[in-house]
Amino acid sequence: MNSDTDLPRAAQPDFAALKARITLGNAVTLLAVLVLAALALATPGFLSMPAIRSLVTTVSFTGCVAIGMTFITLSGNLMSFSLGASLSAATLIFVATLGAGLWPAILAAVLFCAALNALQGWIVGYFRANPIIVSMASFAIITGVATAVTGGRGLYILTNVAAGLKGNLGPIPGPFAAFAICMLIAQLILSRTALGRRIVLTGTNPRAMLAMGAEPWKAVVWAYALAGLFTGVAAVLMAARYGSGDLQHGIGMEYSAIAAVLVGGTAIEGGRGSFLRTFLGALFIAVLQSVLVLRGFSTEWQRFGMGAVVLLVILLQRK
Amino acid sequence: MSAVNDKLAQSQTRNPLLSMRGIGKTYGEVRALRDVSLTLAAGEIRAICGENGAGKSTLVKALTGIVAPDEGEVWLDGKQVHFTVPKDAQAHGINLVSQELSICPDLSVLDNIWLGALSLPFFHRKAELRARAADTLKRLGAGHITLDGLAGRLSTGERQLIEIARMLVRDTRILILDEPTATLSDKEIHVLMSALKSLRAHGTSILYITHRLGEVFELCDHATVMRGGTVVADQAVADLTRDRLIELMLGRVLGHMFPEHHIAEGATFFAINRLNVPGAAHDVGLSLTEGQIMCLTGQLGCGADEVIRAVAGLVSHASGRITLDGEDIPLGRPEVARRRGVRFVSGDRAEEGVFIDRPAWENLVAPRFVERSGARLVHNRALRNEAAALADRSTLARHRLPVRTGDLSGGNQQKLAFGRNIGDGAAKLILMIEPTRGIDVGARAEIYRLMRDFCERGCAILMASSDFAEVLGIADVVATMFRGEVVKTYKTGHLDMTRLIADVTHPEEEDA
Repeated sequence: MNSDTDLPRAAQPDFAALKARITLGNAVTLLAVLVLAALALATPGFLSMPAIRSLVTTVSFTGCVAIGMTFITLSGNLMSFSLGASLSAATLIFVATLGAGLWPAILAAVLFCAALNALQGWIVGYFRANPIIVSMASFAIITGVATAVTGGRGLYILTNVAAGLKGNLGPIPGPFAAFAICMLIAQLILSRTALGRRIVLTGTNPRAMLAMGAEPWKAVVWAYALAGLFTGVAAVLMAARYGSGDLQHGIGMEYSAIAAVLVGGTAIEGGRGSFLRTFLGALFIAVLQSVLVLRGFSTEWQRFGMGAVVLLVILLQRK
Repeated sequence: MSAVNDKLAQSQTRNPLLSMRGIGKTYGEVRALRDVSLTLAAGEIRAICGENGAGKSTLVKALTGIVAPDEGEVWLDGKQVHFTVPKDAQAHGINLVSQELSICPDLSVLDNIWLGALSLPFFHRKAELRARAADTLKRLGAGHITLDGLAGRLSTGERQLIEIARMLVRDTRILILDEPTATLSDKEIHVLMSALKSLRAHGTSILYITHRLGEVFELCDHATVMRGGTVVADQAVADLTRDRLIELMLGRVLGHMFPEHHIAEGATFFAINRLNVPGAAHDVGLSLTEGQIMCLTGQLGCGADEVIRAVAGLVSHASGRITLDGEDIPLGRPEVARRRGVRFVSGDRAEEGVFIDRPAWENLVAPRFVERSGARLVHNRALRNEAAALADRSTLARHRLPVRTGDLSGGNQQKLAFGRNIGDGAAKLILMIEPTRGIDVGARAEIYRLMRDFCERGCAILMASSDFAEVLGIADVVATMFRGEVVKTYKTGHLDMTRLIADVTHPEEEDA
């Protein structure tokens, strides 16, 4: 309508500005992507259908957890080490409640996972507890209780009610379709809802939120609840895919998710980031894992590779 | 004046201790400095004045090796010098006390004084360090500070002196002070002024960057006035008047700094009854009517800030009764206070006033994200339009809206912090602490205008300030405070500077 109320758009990109954007960090990132792509293409079997399918599935699982992790990071609470354990517990809940039907089981698993993390968010936000310590304690508690209840054994899906979750949607694998939808929803929440803006503002400056008469702890609880929710989705997808609920499912998951968030370039100090970044990060991590597996590296060396990448990214994020 | 004196003055200007010639610095497309020249004689105090963005900070950075100038020369003792890192400047006896103090609260005063000194040998005699530190403190008129006490226990003013002492033990010949009085009370400023005068008497040269014009006239010998990255005047302070200095800084004549007072009386709009903030304020009772600006004033630690914070709901252990427009405002509940029309504009802009990492426009509409239910979709286009309209009302240039808030001047940040409250008409009372701290003269007048306009719409402002000129200029009602208690309240026109200072320094002598 009133075009004069519009903000001036950014000026034409000029050469100086472009040059300023090519920093050491950007150059190294570009180099890393190119090296990885070259490595992947040179790896025999990488471009085979089974390998790609497996890659896409891995991206979907870690991706959903990484979406959750992104909410926690954006809210200014660094990261959670208990999302993997939450995921494991949620796969158990899913399989255990499958008798009541598919949708009730999905709902139970996702809500359980959301509530479990919302509780952590309450401890972190309301009592201003250190998020890392809280997540480590939660990891121990969740794993401990779940092991005690199940005796360490997995639960198996004996019917085929959940078979629909591992099929394809046209040419796209089901889990990936679910992940893509999750990403869209997460981005919508982040950039287009009042809650999403509250989470980001709390992440950049919780004291300013408090001074404004907002309640920063509530935004933190919601960020954790959303983290749990998307992790719950990953749990349902994984349980369906592997036909079981098992404490093993979530092992190392939070680590891949943290790596994805960081590699994607979401600021660890909170307040800056997007889900597209997280997706690209998850893709990078999954390709790296896939290359390492196909080239016959042992699990130990895969972990080494991931650790090295996270360290490198932290160093590059330094302003 | 005798010819001998004239000659002396001439030789001094010809052979100054420091001379900067034709300094230029460009950041990207912004020319921060253009052909800036400046001299400093031994034992001279030179003021560098100018609005925010005039280039004062860049000039200091160029002198201390924090940034390398693109053009120009720096001469020291008749020899050309090149400083590429701050260590070089320190080695030549040039030291900067920046606006943000770098005192380590958990170290002793002694350790803080010697912190970072290059000349400190690996094996040193502690007794000698103690003696020199004690000596330095005495020279600053701060002999009462004990060397073994923790620095964290000191007041802001004392910390400032420790910071200066730190520079002096480094054999400083040129001391640079960047807005040293921004956070000090009047009494502390007085102590600082005499400390600096005594340094001058001992031959130390000082570059004194300030907004506060009074200090220029009290302390400085010469003034370099900067505007838009260039030097617009270089004069002896004796040849300047206050108005002329303001005109030089602004490049225009300043209209009235303060808007008209609100004289009309009405029914009580806002009242504080028996407010107690443990350890800070005791039995405070105040009331104001629609349209009024009330100012709590006193020295640092008088409790004025804590009263404001308590009303905002940010103090959890306060007690008392607060009513606004017929409604009770519960204490310790900032979200309830907000819903009932209370808004808080913090004096600590970077920490809790604005979101410095977010763009300016988002700061202006941030309340929308808080008021609305979380699931409500936000329309970024509509919000940007709203931000543009708010920017106009807050006298903030629209082209600044996409800029990261941390890159804006203090004055523009304050316009955001204030402007975000005037959009929806829901605000009834705005609380402010030190509304123009660290803000240049031009933006100050605009902020006072905004405050007055807000009150004219049937609202009120309660503020705390230790800038007495501001208190007398803007407030319709002044409440003087001393050690947590209200000394007296005055209507505008019934209070002058002498009375105010008497109230806030030694009120018990008033009746005697």
